[in-house]
Amino acid sequence: MRFALRRCGVLVWGVSLSLALDLSVELGLEWYWGAAGLGSGLSLTAHAEEVEPPAHRVLHISSSTAETTLDPVGIQDLYSAKLASVLFEGALTYDYLASPAKLIPLLAEGMPEISDGGKTWTIHLKKNVRFAPDPAFKGKERTVQASDMAYTLYRLLDPALHSPFSFLLEGKLVGLDDLAKKAREGKQPYDYKAKIPGVEVVDASTLRLRLNAPDANFGHSLAQPNLGIIAPEVVQFYGDQMGSHPVGTGPYFVKRWMRGASMTLDRNPYYRARPWAFESGQDPASQKVIQEMKGKMIPAIPRIEIKIIPEAQSAWLAFRRGETDLIDLPSKLSPVALSRGHLKAELVKQGIQHEIAVEPEIIGNYMNLQDPMVGGMDPAHIALRRAILMSSDDEAMIRVIRKGQAVRLSYPVPPGVLGHDPKYKSMLPYDPVAANFLLDAYGFKKAADGLRRQPDGSPLVVRYWRTNEGESRDMEELAKRGMDQLHIRFEGHAVPFPDLLKAERSCQVMMRQFAWIADYPDGDDFMQLFYGPNIHANNVFCFQDAQWDRLYQETVALGPGEKRDQLYQKMARMIEMYGVMKISHARLHHELLQPKVMGFHISTIASLAEWPFLDLR
Amino acid sequence: MESTRMESARMDSARSLSAIAWGRLRRNRVGVVSLVVVALFLLALLASACGLIAQDWDRQYALSFAPPTFMGASQQALQEESSAWAPDTGTQLDMYGLHDPLQPVLDQLRIQQAQGSGSFKGANENTPERSATLVLGADKWGRSIALKVMKGAETSVLVGIASALLATAIGTLFGAFAGYLGGWVDALIEWLYGVFTAIPYLLLVFAIAAVLQQKGVFTIILILGLTGWTGVYRLIRAEYLKHKVREYVLAAEAIGASHTRRMFVHILPNVSHVILVQLSQQVVNFIKAEVILSFLGFGVPVDVVSWGSILNETPNELILGYGWQLITCGLAMAILVTAFAMLTDALRDALDPRLK
Repeated sequence: MRFALRRCGVLVWGVSLSLALDLSVELGLEWYWGAAGLGSGLSLTAHAEEVEPPAHRVLHISSSTAETTLDPVGIQDLYSAKLASVLFEGALTYDYLASPAKLIPLLAEGMPEISDGGKTWTIHLKKNVRFAPDPAFKGKERTVQASDMAYTLYRLLDPALHSPFSFLLEGKLVGLDDLAKKAREGKQPYDYKAKIPGVEVVDASTLRLRLNAPDANFGHSLAQPNLGIIAPEVVQFYGDQMGSHPVGTGPYFVKRWMRGASMTLDRNPYYRARPWAFESGQDPASQKVIQEMKGKMIPAIPRIEIKIIPEAQSAWLAFRRGETDLIDLPSKLSPVALSRGHLKAELVKQGIQHEIAVEPEIIGNYMNLQDPMVGGMDPAHIALRRAILMSSDDEAMIRVIRKGQAVRLSYPVPPGVLGHDPKYKSMLPYDPVAANFLLDAYGFKKAADGLRRQPDGSPLVVRYWRTNEGESRDMEELAKRGMDQLHIRFEGHAVPFPDLLKAERSCQVMMRQFAWIADYPDGDDFMQLFYGPNIHANNVFCFQDAQWDRLYQETVALGPGEKRDQLYQKMARMIEMYGVMKISHARLHHELLQPKVMGFHISTIASLAEWPFLDLR
Repeated sequence: MESTRMESARMDSARSLSAIAWGRLRRNRVGVVSLVVVALFLLALLASACGLIAQDWDRQYALSFAPPTFMGASQQALQEESSAWAPDTGTQLDMYGLHDPLQPVLDQLRIQQAQGSGSFKGANENTPERSATLVLGADKWGRSIALKVMKGAETSVLVGIASALLATAIGTLFGAFAGYLGGWVDALIEWLYGVFTAIPYLLLVFAIAAVLQQKGVFTIILILGLTGWTGVYRLIRAEYLKHKVREYVLAAEAIGASHTRRMFVHILPNVSHVILVQLSQQVVNFIKAEVILSFLGFGVPVDVVSWGSILNETPNELILGYGWQLITCGLAMAILVTAFAMLTDALRDALDPRLK
């Protein structure tokens, strides 16, 4: 999952636009509640408690970034994905406590039955699971059918929707890619009704999926928020406004929504009885969570209030005043709450709880291999990219910018994810002297102004892209320091996050700090980033190398194991050798909780929100 | 009493207008002090622009957030520094059977590294010891705040003066044309003035910043200059309306002076005191405006330091308990802005012929 490192948009526009847009969302729901009250008074009185829960039963949360869309296929940022994880449900999900992460059934009755050597997956869906209330259903009771799941799978590959997460299914289901290809090339609408061998609706609650090749990671695909099951009539009802009308089977539904400012989630009145029954996790922290929560229902908290607070300082002050119940402590504020990695005594005395985990993520600078200035596979430009990457001072980055709240990494697969190699040694250490040596040796000569030129004498300018917020400015300063040491002209370029993503997908970003957090706990989620055919999607490095791609295809066929680990080592070395990316660090996640919060455990899967599994004292 | 006043009045009449103004300014003690302060700042600006002082403001002199000397070193910072890892260069890298296209050059590099020759000569001695305290403290990169604020003054004062010159020039030109020519020219410029003043100031600034799409000192000067002319314009237009019917202008017309000559040779010197006062007032306004712009992130790029970009860093430092950057920068700015404002006041008193 791509994410901005604490991103904040242009507030003025976001908020004022949202005021106008989202009044309509709210009115729509209110109207619905009114109508439902007339039609089925019974169900409303039965859930009267849910409509206005007492203040002490409301969970207050802040987020530093605003949601982008709540249409599952369009989601690509972490915060939107977290929201989607409580609004929608897929066939599978992850165990809340298990580490390493473990798949468990959610809307499926049990784990998929796998036959035919791993090529056929049969999924039995739970019966009588109802969608959350919405005007699109026109007051009818609507339960989840196998055809809804088929529709959801089809929709992820709809060429008109350009899902950034289409890679979850691309090339996997027999016939589905052809369907998308036909629509793309024939310029005709994507045929949702077409029967394909890959997706077969056996009966109302059974779906049989046929894969092109055995795929050990297919279960992870089915657990992603992008494959949360939706109903076709909701899509027809809202059309291109789907992003503003999330209707799923999740434990919560959107009650009020001020786009980019705040959101109220209420317990889904139709949510099935789902007991809190997680058992894995032998460590004391998990045991405490199990004791606190065992025997309760999911979700235990009737309402969640979410506020968007882009400023870290404001978020912290809100937490200290007790206005929010949880805070993901931004690293630049960590000295306020922590001393030497532990919670300060005064906070401990107040009963503040502290959870800590290493984020399953990689953060580091990358170079665009197709860039006219620094791209190319000739030795000179490989040397240039490596020199640039070697000028980044990771130690200062962690100590000064992250305030020590990060761990040094150099492998493209982070710890806690299958395929990580703790013994791997980077070939791109911070070493400006060696970097200058490389540049001298490959003919990047200094001109009269003391700055280097390309070997052919043309200008050399490194353009560093970033989002426009505080911490990324610090990162730019650090990058600038590195370029000064190499005597290379530096240009900073700050753009809003969505614009950055767009430029990145069209291979226009020369260099930037990139971050990727695990969607599923397998190295494949990270290695696919560098796969040639994923250029213009997730391969933001625009890196294509025949040998590397061949190795990648081998790893996909192999699945997790020692053999794959050996290939990963080679692939990781190639990423460094060609100067594609220098992995620098992963942050420490410090979550602070008010004393009244129960059942919190930092979820191993970042996009799986913890909120439905919590309770308040 | 009466006689000395007469005396000085007689002396005044014997001297030129600027000499009279200078004499009056000199008698104003506050005016003289502020003039000295402003002059000192301008001197510092010149010195740092020529590279005489604050040239290595970007160098890391001290530890991150080293406190000012009088406060003593922070134990925590010292501990953190000592726990920093040393680079690991000893063991051989496993290439997993790959062939590195840069191998021949890397081999040379290893040899030089091992021998400590070539560019590696004394490479290790090059890193100077970083001190635990600095005169006025250090920022997060360990740069000296004293030097940073001096360097920042260069940018801020330069922006203030340049954009004030630009704004006053535009305002004066428009005011002269509108007030003197009247008619459709006046109507057109008044309409433009209406458009500019109808938009809230900060929104207008952001709009222009968004259109220019480029960061840099020159851009800020343009933004401030292009938005700040309206006040000057109003005043100058009124002055020209008043002056164009005065006897001396009519006399100039009678002897055949052209419109341009009447506007800029006859009237302009007579309204120049208004322009000068406006100019110095604008400098103060624009120094503050640059700070606001940079604070909001529309200002200078990362390799340029200004008071605004310094203040932009301070909110987070403050919550962590490092207040020295805010105090130093805030004080420097307060002193300059106050001195400039007082000087403006003194100038107005000295230059206005009606205030004898």
